[in-house]
Amino acid sequence: MEFDKDGLYKLGKLSKIQIDESKLKSLSSDLGSIIEFIDRLKSIDTENVDPTSNSLDQSLVMRDDIASDVNSANEILENAPQKELDFFSVPKVIE
Amino acid sequence: MINGWELVIGIEIHAQVKSKSKLFSSSSTEFGSGPNSQVSLVDAAMPGMLPVINKFCVEQAVRSGIGLNAKINNKSIFDRKNYFYQDLPQGYQISQFKDPIVGNGFIEIVSEGQSKKIGIERLHLEQDAGKSLHDQDPNLTFVDLNRSGIALMEIVSMPDMKSPDEAVEYVKKVRSILRYLDTCDGNMEQGSLRADVNVSVNKPGDDLGTRCEIKNLNSFKYIHSAIIYEAKRQIKLIESGENIIQETRLYNIDSGETRSMRSKEDAHDYRYFPDPDLLPLILEDDWVKKIRSSIPELPDQKKERFIREYSLSEYDSSVIVSDKSTSDYYEKVVKDRNPKLVTTWVTSELFSVLNKKNLSIDESPISPNHLGELIDNIDSGKISSRQAKDIFEEMCETGESANNIINEKGLSQISDEGELEKLVDNVISSNPENVEKYKNGKDKLFGFFVGEAMKLSKGKANPKVLNELLKSKLNT
Repeated sequence: MEFDKDGLYKLGKLSKIQIDESKLKSLSSDLGSIIEFIDRLKSIDTENVDPTSNSLDQSLVMRDDIASDVNSANEILENAPQKELDFFSVPKVIE
Repeated sequence: MINGWELVIGIEIHAQVKSKSKLFSSSSTEFGSGPNSQVSLVDAAMPGMLPVINKFCVEQAVRSGIGLNAKINNKSIFDRKNYFYQDLPQGYQISQFKDPIVGNGFIEIVSEGQSKKIGIERLHLEQDAGKSLHDQDPNLTFVDLNRSGIALMEIVSMPDMKSPDEAVEYVKKVRSILRYLDTCDGNMEQGSLRADVNVSVNKPGDDLGTRCEIKNLNSFKYIHSAIIYEAKRQIKLIESGENIIQETRLYNIDSGETRSMRSKEDAHDYRYFPDPDLLPLILEDDWVKKIRSSIPELPDQKKERFIREYSLSEYDSSVIVSDKSTSDYYEKVVKDRNPKLVTTWVTSELFSVLNKKNLSIDESPISPNHLGELIDNIDSGKISSRQAKDIFEEMCETGESANNIINEKGLSQISDEGELEKLVDNVISSNPENVEKYKNGKDKLFGFFVGEAMKLSKGKANPKVLNELLKSKLNT
């Protein structure tokens, strides 16, 4: 199975990945076989099985509502490729 | 209806949970702090960080669900909503998709004198995104992540509203309920409560039209005018033979227009899937029951009780209960007092001062105790309503108590008949001509005598006693 070209471009756009024309063929066959593999799940009869979102039979553990100052702006911004004042800065996004 | 077209409106409200820390991290939620000063490694989506849910936020979602007469789901699931934007460091928002914490419910609204049930489809918990500032630099967008990860309750209505008025009443009612429950502060200016409004138009009897969503409206006025603009825009398009494209639009508060948001073109493919970092949220029946028993009196119940206990009119009661602080204020004043007097003083005098000064009732220059004291003086006849208004004004300016002002200025009303009789005699003897005219049938002069006597008393005469005295003296 081949992953269709339009679907591939859309996926690329949503993932912010530029897809090189020359890789198109190999990508679509790679992705196609991944999907084919996953599709094997469809052959299993799930008629009487509840939808499962997690395989652990446990509930979320909750924490109390206590605010703590664990990080300062400096530490958080330390990893930013670009910053201005105390903000992250990115190329202008026109809305 | 606009020009023979019906409107169909559905609303998503984003209400910020009044918690101290964020939904999945311990960063503070305080408003107005320096940029990026309340960002944890979880909020900044550093690799390997795991979300841990805030119990208080879960509780507030359940409380709100109960207040919206809705079904509480014992099992709910958190999903990842994937999209790319600079103020969303994770690349996805943790939200709830197929299995929200709260299911179907409803609220009652009153619009143009008609009461109406509006269905609630669901309420779910999700993370807020960070904030982008586009106007600080010509070539850059600045990002502040303080808001990133703060808990929001998204409340989705059924498309049950047919007019901008109904839409506004709906948002007002939800806000009021959340404020009574104290789960959200409802501050729209600060963005603690904002609405996305879905609008479509159709001819009566036809299928529903294609809808457009107007994002992020943060005042009742904007909700109202954005709906009118959007409905008219759609009608114009359809009438000129064009199709409506389902899209997300932004409302411009300066021009009053809506325009397409291009960044949302691909947004409908969010590729939701259960967040593998988070187990299902299971609520114990006993815990939900305990929350249910702690729900305070809500606006609808309070409105009925005020009508019953204080003989308020339907209208006065709904005005007073629509805001929790106002109803608390009213109730403090009305305790052991004449409800009719209290209602008049609160709804006319106090409201007009607050309006004029643009203050909320919590910032009222007159405390409930001080207003109560003033009303006691009116009720006992110590001061007239006329004097009370002057004293009230002075109370607003100085913050003094009514009793202090009355004592200081010697303002208390003269009700003593002996004292007033002297005044009346004085007026009658100094105006023989007018007395003559009055006795010959010129009834209108009665007002003149009242005025003269009042003047002599420096406005302190009890008008009722004075009138009676004058009448009996002049008519003999």
